[in-house]
Amino acid sequence: MNYYFIKKEAWDKVMEALLSSCNIYAPVVNEYSQDYELLTPALIPSILYNKPKPVSPLKIFFLPVKENVTAERKDEKPRIIIGVPNCDVEALGLLDEIYLDESYEDIFYRKRRENTLIISSDCFDIQEHCHCTSYGVKPWSENRTDLSVILSKDTVILRIISQKGEKFVRETLQASPVDDKSMISFIDVRHREIEGLLSRTNKSLPDYKETGRLVRESVKAVWMKHSATCVSCGACTTICPTCTCFLLIDKPGFHKVKQMDACQYPGFEKTAGGEDPLKELYERFRNRYMCKYVWKPEKFKHIACTGCGRCIEACIGKIDKNKIFTELAK
Amino acid sequence: MPAEKNIYRPIKAKLTDVIAESPTIKTFVLIPEEEFTFSTGQFIELSVDGIGEAPFTPSSSPLVKDRLEVTVMKTGYVTDYMHNLKLGAIMGIRGPFGRGYPVEKFYNREVLILGGGCGFAPIRSLLYNLAAITDKLRKVTLCYGSKTPEDCIYKPYISELKKIPKFEVFRSVDRGDSTWTEKVGVVTTLLEDVKVDIKNSVAVVCGPPIMMKFSTLKLLDMGYPEYDIYLSMEKNMSCGLGKCGHCMMGKYFVCKDGPVFTYQEIKDQPNIWS
Repeated sequence: MNYYFIKKEAWDKVMEALLSSCNIYAPVVNEYSQDYELLTPALIPSILYNKPKPVSPLKIFFLPVKENVTAERKDEKPRIIIGVPNCDVEALGLLDEIYLDESYEDIFYRKRRENTLIISSDCFDIQEHCHCTSYGVKPWSENRTDLSVILSKDTVILRIISQKGEKFVRETLQASPVDDKSMISFIDVRHREIEGLLSRTNKSLPDYKETGRLVRESVKAVWMKHSATCVSCGACTTICPTCTCFLLIDKPGFHKVKQMDACQYPGFEKTAGGEDPLKELYERFRNRYMCKYVWKPEKFKHIACTGCGRCIEACIGKIDKNKIFTELAK
Repeated sequence: MPAEKNIYRPIKAKLTDVIAESPTIKTFVLIPEEEFTFSTGQFIELSVDGIGEAPFTPSSSPLVKDRLEVTVMKTGYVTDYMHNLKLGAIMGIRGPFGRGYPVEKFYNREVLILGGGCGFAPIRSLLYNLAAITDKLRKVTLCYGSKTPEDCIYKPYISELKKIPKFEVFRSVDRGDSTWTEKVGVVTTLLEDVKVDIKNSVAVVCGPPIMMKFSTLKLLDMGYPEYDIYLSMEKNMSCGLGKCGHCMMGKYFVCKDGPVFTYQEIKDQPNIWS
């Protein structure tokens, strides 16, 4: 892979100059955690590089929680999103399959994809529930994004992933190609260290290829037990980078408002005739696992769980998906 | 440059007639403001402005291009509003969506159709289609069941059907009255009176889930292969685009992969009858 570099001071200046023509988002530390913020000049020095995932999944930039999908709208400003972890980048595979489907393309999603430059960030650290490698996802990006950023002391190094990324690096950043391989040799070392750490931390987890069978073979009692503290709040689906189910709400003038929805909510599949396949809480709980590990893998090319661990962190019932899979795999 | 196609935007259609089919079922005759065509068995999302939309399979002929008929049972929030609409009202239509009946696969075969209640609506569209190609079919047998004689819909159309060569019609009701001269019993009891060459036949079933289940089991018992039983599935089809997730039936989005499936395709999926 090709790498370019630019001094951090120069990078910060380019970012500041771009603020007049682009909306730039990057993770920064806030009062509670680390999450994406719309950058201002004052925030540029606070951007977090090479840290594990922000609180919000990348999908929020492409699938807003609520939007009118029938109203005319003006072109949005170009966007740059910096610091996207690869667990979120990989999730775009499934989102693209669903929303850029040739027969029914969602033009709002497509325009946002086209309008956004994604600069992912190699993870050089892990959080408690990170388990991407268990599902075959690397903690750094090599495809599906435009660039990946690595901060090394006073130098910003950029891995070129797409043509759009290369154009940005050459023309906008005016960065220099890395000719001296010793400058980037530490990157491989860090990758191996993080992979090793993730592997040791998650050694009890089954391989992603096994998860479908484990879920399919689990009986009602298993789901009753593990859903005992679920309150159907939908936090797990809201925070998940691959969950994209929604509701269309009618408004006067034949407008449609598309709002994120969750299979964990009662009545999600209820028909006008009164049938409700997901009436019981354990059925809704099981549905999410069947969807992610059995049905989506049968239907789509891309994986429906990238091992980000956000659903574990968000659960107010303290349900730990990894503990469930560890138990199922015993 | 032409405007980009927005998959969420409905086209408008004028309500030009309302036919009361039963105490709870009405047929709405709509004239779309833009060109609108469909294949029999495909469905549409029909909306009441600002109130909501719901999925329906048109009950009219797919060969008629300038108008559309949709038969609606009053059963909830949106359909209550629909039943109160006045002539001239403007409704919204999105679609057509999904995979309808594969009529070409019925050529040179007998078609045995089992319908229940408002499930006659998609079947009427299919019958219109089949009536236009009787030379390509061996026979069409309709078995239609409803709760009571007054719940039987499309009464004038039943009389027309009986006059079409190669068509046979059998009806039953769960509870008869003094005026009822046909069969009393669930729809599958009509199969006792039907002569059908199963090896040269396909079966089509549409109705409430419980009726679909027992009809399918009866057809399997009679010897119909799983791949020759066509079911029009009813799920909570909301977007119609294979995206919103409300109609997932295992690995299928019923709105996009269906709503018409063979029993063979869906028999291993969960909750097909609920």
